[in-house]
Amino acid sequence: MGLISGSLLSINEDLLYTIPIMLLIIPALNSLIGDISTVLVSRLTTHLYIGTLPPKIQKSKRLIEDLYGLIITLLLSLISLLFIGYLVGIISGIRIVNPLLMIFVISITILLIFSIMFITLFIGAIFLFKRGKDPNNFLIPFVTSLADFLTPFFLILFLIMFL
Amino acid sequence: MENQDSKGKIVKETFPSELISIIGDILAGILLSLLILPFNSFPILILMVPALLSLRGNLSGPFIARTSRDLIIGNFTKRTWIENVFATYTLSILTGIFIGIFSTILNFVFFKLFLLPTLYFILIPIISITLTLLISIPSSTLLNYLAFKRGLNPNNVVNPIMTAVDDFSTVFCFLLTIIMLGVP
Repeated sequence: MGLISGSLLSINEDLLYTIPIMLLIIPALNSLIGDISTVLVSRLTTHLYIGTLPPKIQKSKRLIEDLYGLIITLLLSLISLLFIGYLVGIISGIRIVNPLLMIFVISITILLIFSIMFITLFIGAIFLFKRGKDPNNFLIPFVTSLADFLTPFFLILFLIMFL
Repeated sequence: MENQDSKGKIVKETFPSELISIIGDILAGILLSLLILPFNSFPILILMVPALLSLRGNLSGPFIARTSRDLIIGNFTKRTWIENVFATYTLSILTGIFIGIFSTILNFVFFKLFLLPTLYFILIPIISITLTLLISIPSSTLLNYLAFKRGLNPNNVVNPIMTAVDDFSTVFCFLLTIIMLGVP
């Protein structure tokens, strides 16, 4: 997955030369979505084992509380990331092309990937748990690889669409 | 207890760790955009970077978790640590070889950019990973030990800090490797 992600970046090298701020924030974006999704998997697994979440695909108070908690963390982290990223970009003299559009593209990329992750991981955790497997063992490596692939993919896709 | 965590508690415990991780990753991004982007062979080099960054989760993460576990259950000895280091290095070198082989194949099949000798595709990930672990292993062991000695749970403290340290050192060691090998 890492090499597929690298291939995506390599194919779109012109975009990286045009918008160098992308390279500055890609490691942080990958890490952000990977970390939040890992927390989600760990929490879902614990809830399933201790019985606070029923092993059924349905809404529950516990699931909604976790979803809101993680969305607030994700949004706060995203704001911090954009603020630190742009500050560092200005200080280090990295060219920032169309900052408002970049903020929009980065935000929808992260929110879209989190939505995909949340649905996939919720269904995946229940499916694995019902079959007697520990969701942590299967979903955490999967999450890391999927985040590494999806982040540059959607970022490049949206930049091509909107630029 | 996780079953009683409110959304506020989730934010309070997760956000500070995430902030540390973001700062480390932004530093890695500075190296990428300021120092690696100007290389002529950048289109080939960028092929390997995400794969090397993924190693942090797949190799360094389990090393940290095993060291924490050994400290917590009272099984941490020189022997267990050396075994852990040996296992991590063996896996890392094997992974480095695979990254090199697959990068070479991808380049021959899709990109056809012959900017680097084929041997460099293998050498760059192996040297880069080896150097990264020279920073990661001692720092995570020391952090684990200090956290444990101060009565903190190493599982909660070490990982977020090491995410930042590992991502930055991965890109830094990658840069060092390509400079040492004289990559154009």
